[in-house]
Amino acid sequence: MKGILKKISQINFGLMSPEDIRKMSVTKIVTPDTYDEDGYPIEAGLMDPRLGVIDPGLKCRTCGSKGGDCQGHFGSINLARPVIHVGFADTIHKTLRSTCRSCGRVLLDNNEIKNYHEKIEKMFKNEESVNNLIKEIYTVARKDKCPHCEEEQEDIKIDKPVSIVEGNYKLTPSEVRERLEKIPDEDSLILGVNPKVARPEWTILTVLPVPPVTVRPSITLETGERSEDDLTHKLVDILRINQRLKENMEAGAPQLIVEDLWELLQYHVTTYFDNEASGVPPARHRSGRPLKTLAQRLKGKEGRFRSNLSGKRVNFSARTVISPDPNLSINEVGVPEIIAKEVTVPVYVTEWNMEEIKKYIQNGPKVHPGANYVIRPDERKIRIYEETKDTVIEKLEPGFIVERHLKDGDIVLFNRQPSLHRMSMMAHEVKVLPYKTFRLNLCVCPPYNADFDGDEMNMHVFQTEESRAEAKSLMRVQEHILSPRFGGPIIGGIHDHISGAYLLTREGSIFREEEIFQMLKHAKVPLPKKTGKNWTGKQLFSLLLPDDLNVVYRAEICRKCDECLKKECKNDSYVVIEDGVLKSGVIDDKAYGAFSGKILDHIVKEYGTDRAREFLDSATKLAIAGIMKKGFTTSTNDEEIPQEARERIEELLDKAESRVERLIEAYKNDELEPLPGRSMEETLEMKIMQVLGEARDKSGEIAEIYFGMENHAVIMAVTGARGSMLNLTQIAACVGQQSVRGGRIKRGYSERTLPHFQKGELGARARGFVHSSYKQGLDPLEFFFHAMGGREGLVDTAIRTAQSGYMQRRLVNALQDLSVNPDRTVRDNRGIIIQTMYGEDGVDPAKSDYGKVVDLDRIIEEIRIKSSK
Amino acid sequence: MKKSAWGLVDAFFNQYNLVDHHIKSYNDFVNNRIQDIIDITEPIVLEQGEYSVKTGKLEIRKPFTKEADGSKSMVYPTEARLRNLTYSAHMYLDMALIKGDEEQPPEKVYIGELPLMLKSDICHLNGLSERELIAKGEDPQDPGGYFIVNGSERAIVTMEEIAPNKIILERIGEVEDRRARAIVTSIKSGFRARITLEYRKPRKKGVFLRISFPYVPGEIPLVVLLRALGMGTDEEIVTSVSDEKDMQFLLIDDIETSNQAFNIEPKELEEMTLKERRDYFIHKAVKYIGNRVAKGMTEEYRIKRAEDVIDRYLLPHIGVEPEKREEKAIYLAEMTEMLLQVIFEVREPHDKDHYTNKRLRVSGDLMEDLFRVAFTSLTRDMTYQLERSLARGKEPSVKQAVRSDVLTENIKHAIATGNWVGGRAGVSQLLDRTSYMGTLSHLRRVVSPLSRSQPHFEARDLHPTQFGKICPNETPEGPNCGLVKNLALLVKISEGSEPQEIEDLIKKMGVLDSLVEAKS
Repeated sequence: MKGILKKISQINFGLMSPEDIRKMSVTKIVTPDTYDEDGYPIEAGLMDPRLGVIDPGLKCRTCGSKGGDCQGHFGSINLARPVIHVGFADTIHKTLRSTCRSCGRVLLDNNEIKNYHEKIEKMFKNEESVNNLIKEIYTVARKDKCPHCEEEQEDIKIDKPVSIVEGNYKLTPSEVRERLEKIPDEDSLILGVNPKVARPEWTILTVLPVPPVTVRPSITLETGERSEDDLTHKLVDILRINQRLKENMEAGAPQLIVEDLWELLQYHVTTYFDNEASGVPPARHRSGRPLKTLAQRLKGKEGRFRSNLSGKRVNFSARTVISPDPNLSINEVGVPEIIAKEVTVPVYVTEWNMEEIKKYIQNGPKVHPGANYVIRPDERKIRIYEETKDTVIEKLEPGFIVERHLKDGDIVLFNRQPSLHRMSMMAHEVKVLPYKTFRLNLCVCPPYNADFDGDEMNMHVFQTEESRAEAKSLMRVQEHILSPRFGGPIIGGIHDHISGAYLLTREGSIFREEEIFQMLKHAKVPLPKKTGKNWTGKQLFSLLLPDDLNVVYRAEICRKCDECLKKECKNDSYVVIEDGVLKSGVIDDKAYGAFSGKILDHIVKEYGTDRAREFLDSATKLAIAGIMKKGFTTSTNDEEIPQEARERIEELLDKAESRVERLIEAYKNDELEPLPGRSMEETLEMKIMQVLGEARDKSGEIAEIYFGMENHAVIMAVTGARGSMLNLTQIAACVGQQSVRGGRIKRGYSERTLPHFQKGELGARARGFVHSSYKQGLDPLEFFFHAMGGREGLVDTAIRTAQSGYMQRRLVNALQDLSVNPDRTVRDNRGIIIQTMYGEDGVDPAKSDYGKVVDLDRIIEEIRIKSSK
Repeated sequence: MKKSAWGLVDAFFNQYNLVDHHIKSYNDFVNNRIQDIIDITEPIVLEQGEYSVKTGKLEIRKPFTKEADGSKSMVYPTEARLRNLTYSAHMYLDMALIKGDEEQPPEKVYIGELPLMLKSDICHLNGLSERELIAKGEDPQDPGGYFIVNGSERAIVTMEEIAPNKIILERIGEVEDRRARAIVTSIKSGFRARITLEYRKPRKKGVFLRISFPYVPGEIPLVVLLRALGMGTDEEIVTSVSDEKDMQFLLIDDIETSNQAFNIEPKELEEMTLKERRDYFIHKAVKYIGNRVAKGMTEEYRIKRAEDVIDRYLLPHIGVEPEKREEKAIYLAEMTEMLLQVIFEVREPHDKDHYTNKRLRVSGDLMEDLFRVAFTSLTRDMTYQLERSLARGKEPSVKQAVRSDVLTENIKHAIATGNWVGGRAGVSQLLDRTSYMGTLSHLRRVVSPLSRSQPHFEARDLHPTQFGKICPNETPEGPNCGLVKNLALLVKISEGSEPQEIEDLIKKMGVLDSLVEAKS
């Protein structure tokens, strides 16, 4: 829709006077009947056609627009007696408390009034909030005698939720209205009511505005019946009581009956505005379910604010299952053709792109890349069909908008829920592919926390050039390689990338030249000159590194021996890269892995995100090519240990169990030495857990002796690809002690865990120590204890996901207005300073070095290297 | 497991069905409990005893249906599933109208339909061989144990709840807080009463031990209630609770404090004999309760109401007659001793997840609750109908007064929607027919009543007492983790037995009656 751009200067919240309501209403509503026998809406009833139409096809009587366009028009109900608006009950109460009952002036003497007036004027000028001052005024303006007319004041209490009681006498809304009318304008300013937009007496309703039919549409059930909206039901109630009240008043009914009906009218109007008002029984449907009235429509998670305004359902979005594709760049996303033909991009036709766009229209809506719609300057949308596309092409002129299919290179927003951090929504380049899933490069799984067991992800297509440009410069995946949480890379190699790189670059991996060139072709790396000789893996990897890169570090497989042999390390774990050549050391998790990639980190910081993307793309593809050449598998044989190892482990565990028995003996004989600050039981438990933990670790060490680097499971554990030595220990040697809530298994039958044990048994097996390894198999009791420990883990995960969502919501709501200003302070939207310098040090964590402000070691090293040349 | 052990498992399943617990429970309900409910329900009495209706035996016939042309035919489950019928049996009750003294001959009246559990005793499919089942259009492997209501198969899932009629002690807050509570969920004939006895330091002056039970707003001091139940003297109260000095002193304190609230004239007391004093205190206590229960009424009415409330709503499982008051007093004294033991850290509070403190309510138990309420509403409706026909001057006829719809719709609606009496939702669920294993798993499900939105860490953990009873592995991931459980393979659920039987047996064996002991 075209129009003149206007800038909003101010929003004022005020009240509507009864005249305003009458002015804006198109008709007076009198009868509670909605439809007559033929199914037509009755005049002056609630479904009056002048209030608006919902049926497509009917015309609105007031504005003449058709079904879908008419926004509806308000009506009004003249209430027989004034009624208090439940939302203002507190305000009315406070106002009455602070003003005199006879003369209506505020209960402050003239000096105070002048004082406050000045203060308020000053605050208005400074654009400060006057809320606190008004609160103060309310607490001060309570005196027993009016300073202006010397009248005695009485205590005014509020009876939940809408009856005002003065002393012992209940005030009717008419009386309240009279008192509020007496308040002069200047005094109402002090009480916090701006006389330009609202008068206090307007909080008592004499005319009730009736929302249009579009606000409370009726639904037609499959049986043919028309079911009315909850609000319509409520309005019917109000109208009925209003009618009865009027009739009774005119017929001169006794006071009691009139008052009763008035109370009932007040109740109906109260529940119309808020059905969950405290102190009032909620109005119910015939079935017993409470009605959903105006306040409920706005409140809560499913209300207007949270569910329709802060977050909406949008067009031009798509969602399917994701699947992996290592051949894409990290910036790209594979979009199924079906989706690409459905979600479109609007393009302005100019004389320079006419030809290209004509080609799209020529393809039509069914062939990709084509176009679906053409929008003329008069905003008519023309659908392109096979038959009509030629006419459309003829009529095409610059100034039209064409909605063309999504094609390769377009920028889209890709997102996985729950979106806990900003890396859950990143901009990708489209690559249209066959079949029906979104395809994702594997390196970009950690920030989305996506796995391919059926996860679905959402895609949003940008509709304007500005948003496309913003996304391309700020939100692309390569910009987010470094995480603002800890300053290191969050996008990097995972699983096979790392074990592949290890296999490629370890000592002894030598390839023939043709193999090398095959791998380079796979990795889409520009081919070097042929040398005719065999290549080592390290030379191969060096082709990917930028020419002036200098890095030195210890790889993940480093054993952390006491005396580091550096370049002579037996495990080849001292990585040295000089001038872009890998001189020594293997490439593994520490090189370009997702959470600790040092090389990746340096390339991003020193060469920029483009170069980092190229490096990551080619390094991962090369690692995959390498692992495909070498071959990689695993089986249970990888965890096989010889008989003598088994025997040694048995021995070790037996010794540990007897030590535990001795500790228990000592405890029973009161010989145990308590640790400082702990009771005897606690000491015993801690010592036992320590002994058993050591036993498991030591048995793991025994098993490790028999594992070499030829063992594929060990390669994966040691290089950091997947798993750890603990996993191998549990499979091969001993599973270890199961724990529930930090301690050994305690709960169960009285004084013992299971009836298979004696009462009072504290031994290792009786409290959840699993002796066997996974390979040997657990016996039934060990299995049960293991299930207990495992269950705790599942419960934890389930509870944590629910609570993390709430925590994230609270944090986001608290922080979303804060921003860093050009003067380096962190301020919120009111201008109040939160921090004088961002994070107290002014450092963007994504650009910092794992949290440190400056990486001094690196700088010194660079200088050293430069000076040594 | 060695090969020979599997033979045992096979033998078990040759004898028992996988959903035996449902079928046995339903059979027990149909064969025994329905008759009990009908016998116990208050008979219909009109016109101050002029007329009354006597109920007799209930007969349940196998399911049949009347076609549009009037012919009757046997309904089999397959037909019910296809034609969206309810697989239910008609119930005929012997009712006799008693006018004044003469009793008219009892007639068999059709009172409604009871949905039938497949493969139960009254089902057509009971005992059929494999070939016969196939001939009727049924899958011979189908386990049965579910209902067919309006064409859809509904399984009533077993509900796990805290054992009723048992004293459960729990500590509130930390050990140092010295606060604890004893709860008894007393159930009698479907009426649930929760009696809570709490020990805590009063904010201002007051007693430490307070008790609350239904129909009495707020809490009343324990000592007052014990008095009202018949323990008139201080000595009776103190000794029946405990022999420990510390606990006795606590009670003495409470007695002192509560006596102050009574405004007793010491001079009056001196003049009375022991017996008179006892009665005086009892009377005072009953008046105190009366003030709480029916404020502002005449004293006579208050006393009557107080006694009524104590008899009917305090510990109903012990009994509702006035003679049981002494037993109730001893029960409360025992509760108090256990509670004080928790406070003094002599006894550990109960583990609410220990399976001894849990009971499973299988389909038969749940149907019993439902039937009780439905039958009561049927009798009420009958009363109304009979009164109306009397008011018109017509001779009341039992057959015409019965509207079978009331009972039928009540039961059908509950099973069809899953909204049970007592406010529970999700009791009956659409049977999972994803695969054979899915069906079996659904029928062997056990659901806890705790809310899914709260963490409830301890309730979700695998408790060692579940060994052999509840499967350690099968539980859903996500918000229901640990609250929805499944029965283990070789589980048999035993039915409850009459407490009277067991009492008689142990008395025969020589256990002394606590009441007699206390008196001597």
